[in-house]
Amino acid sequence: MRILTSLIVPPIIFTIPAVIVGVSSGKWWISGLIWAVAIVIVIIRLAFVTRSWRSWGYVEREDDLYITHGVMFRSLIAVPYGRMQLVEVESGPLERAFGLASVTLKTASPETGARIPGLAPEEATRLRDRLTELGEAHASGL
Amino acid sequence: MSASQPQGTSARNLAGGSQAGFGTAPGSPPPGAAQPKPTERPHPLTPFVRGWLVFVAIAIGWIRELVTSAGENQFQADGLIWILPVLAIVVLFAGIAGFISWYFTRFVIDDEELRIDTGAIFKKSTKIPFERLQSVDLVQPLAARIFGLAELRLDAGNSTTKLRYLTRSKASRFRDYLLARAHGHQASIRDLDQQAVASVFTDLGVADQALVQITPQRLIVSFLLSTEWLIPTAISITILVSTVAFGVLPLALGALIPLVIGMLSLIWRRVIGMFNFTLAESPRGLRITRGLTNLTSQSLPINRVQGVKTSQPLLWKPLGWYRVDIDILGYAQGDGEDNESTSSSVLLPVASSEEVELAFARVLPGFDLDGIELHSSPKRTRWLRWFDFWTLRYGWDDRTLITEQGWFTHVRDVVPHAKTQSVRIEQGPLQRLFRLADVHVHTPRGPVNAVAHQLDDHIARELALSQLDQARAARAAEREHVAIAALAVDDHEGEAQLLGSFGTGRDQILGSGGESEVFAIDHQRVLRLYRGRHEAPRRTAAQLGSLYDSWRGADIGIELPMITEMGEYNGRFYTVDRRFSGQNLSGWLRHAQASQRRPALISFLDATERLQHLPSPVAGFARLIGDGAPDQFGTLGELLTKMLWGPLQMSRTQLERDVPGVSEVWNRLHADLALRSVAPTFVHGDVCPPNAYLSEGVEGPVITGIGDFSSHTLNADPLMDLAGAVIFLELEPYADAPDDAAWLEAVVAERHGRDVVHWIDVYRRYYGFYFSNTYEFEPNVYAWCLRQMSR
Repeated sequence: MRILTSLIVPPIIFTIPAVIVGVSSGKWWISGLIWAVAIVIVIIRLAFVTRSWRSWGYVEREDDLYITHGVMFRSLIAVPYGRMQLVEVESGPLERAFGLASVTLKTASPETGARIPGLAPEEATRLRDRLTELGEAHASGL
Repeated sequence: MSASQPQGTSARNLAGGSQAGFGTAPGSPPPGAAQPKPTERPHPLTPFVRGWLVFVAIAIGWIRELVTSAGENQFQADGLIWILPVLAIVVLFAGIAGFISWYFTRFVIDDEELRIDTGAIFKKSTKIPFERLQSVDLVQPLAARIFGLAELRLDAGNSTTKLRYLTRSKASRFRDYLLARAHGHQASIRDLDQQAVASVFTDLGVADQALVQITPQRLIVSFLLSTEWLIPTAISITILVSTVAFGVLPLALGALIPLVIGMLSLIWRRVIGMFNFTLAESPRGLRITRGLTNLTSQSLPINRVQGVKTSQPLLWKPLGWYRVDIDILGYAQGDGEDNESTSSSVLLPVASSEEVELAFARVLPGFDLDGIELHSSPKRTRWLRWFDFWTLRYGWDDRTLITEQGWFTHVRDVVPHAKTQSVRIEQGPLQRLFRLADVHVHTPRGPVNAVAHQLDDHIARELALSQLDQARAARAAEREHVAIAALAVDDHEGEAQLLGSFGTGRDQILGSGGESEVFAIDHQRVLRLYRGRHEAPRRTAAQLGSLYDSWRGADIGIELPMITEMGEYNGRFYTVDRRFSGQNLSGWLRHAQASQRRPALISFLDATERLQHLPSPVAGFARLIGDGAPDQFGTLGELLTKMLWGPLQMSRTQLERDVPGVSEVWNRLHADLALRSVAPTFVHGDVCPPNAYLSEGVEGPVITGIGDFSSHTLNADPLMDLAGAVIFLELEPYADAPDDAAWLEAVVAERHGRDVVHWIDVYRRYYGFYFSNTYEFEPNVYAWCLRQMSR
């Protein structure tokens, strides 16, 4: 069982708006307050991010892929390789800045929504190629 | 309608010129004409009918104008005068546009192709291969209906092509023809010309049989009692009464008007759109016809049904009525019951439980839904779902999953495992506290949304994980079923008679393969019923019979097959064979102890080794069974190349895709086979556990018989059977099969020397190619083939 990784939502994103609001408003006590709130949020976020980051996991099984995530609301999704229609590798600007990418699996069902965020790009491409290959080997009609 | 103008030529170029040389349709122009085949235009009334819609829209706008200005009479005349020329211009333009669009639309539907060319400036030529057609629907909007015209909607893949308008009889003839072609029947368009025309109101042809017809009374009563109708009605009445009581009615209009519009559209969809709803069985599958003003006739592709939802609003309960919706693949783009679109997911808008059962039997044939035991959610669920905990139920068997929920509207979702896309288990914090979890079973877009709510979390896990295994097994079974159904002639009655005359039946089936099915008659005999009505089964059986006869004196210490009787009944060929004693090795292996298995496999190997001592009717390398057999070959390589030729015809393109460097594998196989020098002996060709029979001897399990000689049977390298015994064992569905196969290979190597391992690998590649035509119906065998080739 290989659990790989991820999701590092950069906490900076929470402090940036605080700084902007603080600077622009001119009233520095408000700015200080926002800073304090922002720092609290960041701390809480950090605590949760680590936990939720740890909660993401996936397993490549013989016939299907399992993805689990969630701390409060836990979910486990199982996608048979034969059902995958599309495997996407995405990397937004922020993700790219941190050298991350995510892999999304699409089936004929819109509810599937199987996504593995925060992979290293090499791992993401490896996973995509592997899944596509497995998908072809297991391919079945609808 | 054979005027040949420039656009005909350019459209032909767009179509890729693939029809060049097919100038065979009757009445085709003389050679040298610009067009190789006559194309048709839709009915000349088309622009008028399409313009009608514009006209109606304008008329409605105008009436609204009249109504709003009714209070101010002095402006009314001005409004009228102002609007008339605009109206005239718009109608004129619409008319011209309609005419142009009609003039440049041409279509061909004949024995070779289905093509529609449109566009005056930007030419577009749509050519749809018959096999790609998923459904062909007939739609008649009111205006078209008045003129006896109909629109043909062709669904292929994700796109819908419309052809409008044709006369109704022509459209329904085209529909029947196209559906026949879509199902792979080689119909000819001319055969259908004489067919009787279906009824104007229900579109039921002579060959169609109505299964369920919904009377207007029932439709209207059910509508009035439905939750979707009662809630807005109650709300509007409340608003109306309270505002009138307080004298502030105008204030409430803002809320009332959208509500009323919503209610009207509901009436439009549920009553007008579903009027005269008929579910009928036609020779080409199920068909739904409905509509008061617009008549829609929709064909239901059963193999694309992904799930079924039955719902029952609270007030329908005393009446015992249900509504049935289905998920049909590719039907989800539009609104589920959009009146304009034919893509309706409604199977029955209202039906009694008998009618529901009838419909279920057609839509999910062979499913035993009543046999599934439904479980309630655990008692502790009531803390979480106090409002409907008693309605949450779930159940499954090896083919379907059923979930139920809701008391206000009771919903029951049925999803065949074969259609499951993926599975998700979800557990929120409260659910974790109570050790409960939800299981979502995902199906393609549509009304069915199967969720088993609030299961004990262990059961949820078991359900979710077993669901996928079952989905996989069900898909494999379904494919096999489809493949077999394609081979078999649909002649259940004759078959039942034949089976009955031997005192056996479908429930006595012992096994089935690509060529035949075997039924038990008694302890000594089995009935082998060949598939299809071709000459091949008779030939195979005759060849096998004489082969078996030639073995009469030979005793190799195991039971061999024997044909005691052969014959033909109602076009089906059958033989009565001697029944092997003991039980099937494949079935036995699945349950046997590890300590028992290995002695049995040694015995299996011994029996396989004895097969080569069977006398062969011809000398030299030869194919013993099949068309033109026995045919002899100079070398082993030539014989095996010939054996691979047939399967490769079918699987070549597939292999080129799946095996990188397949030609290299192929060349290597030939190079290796050329080096093999061996004296030809008898080879069974398919020695695998399902073909072997085992009895419990004094010293443990012993293989006492090998059967199922077939077109695989050869005069060739005796090692082929030894290799087969080892490598086909890997296909057995028990956990330790690969280990046992590796062990058996080591035993073979010990007995016959190390270099045997090399030749086993060569035959792995050979069998990999040989069985590669299984890719369509036995994916696990095909995957095994791919593994063999990669060695």
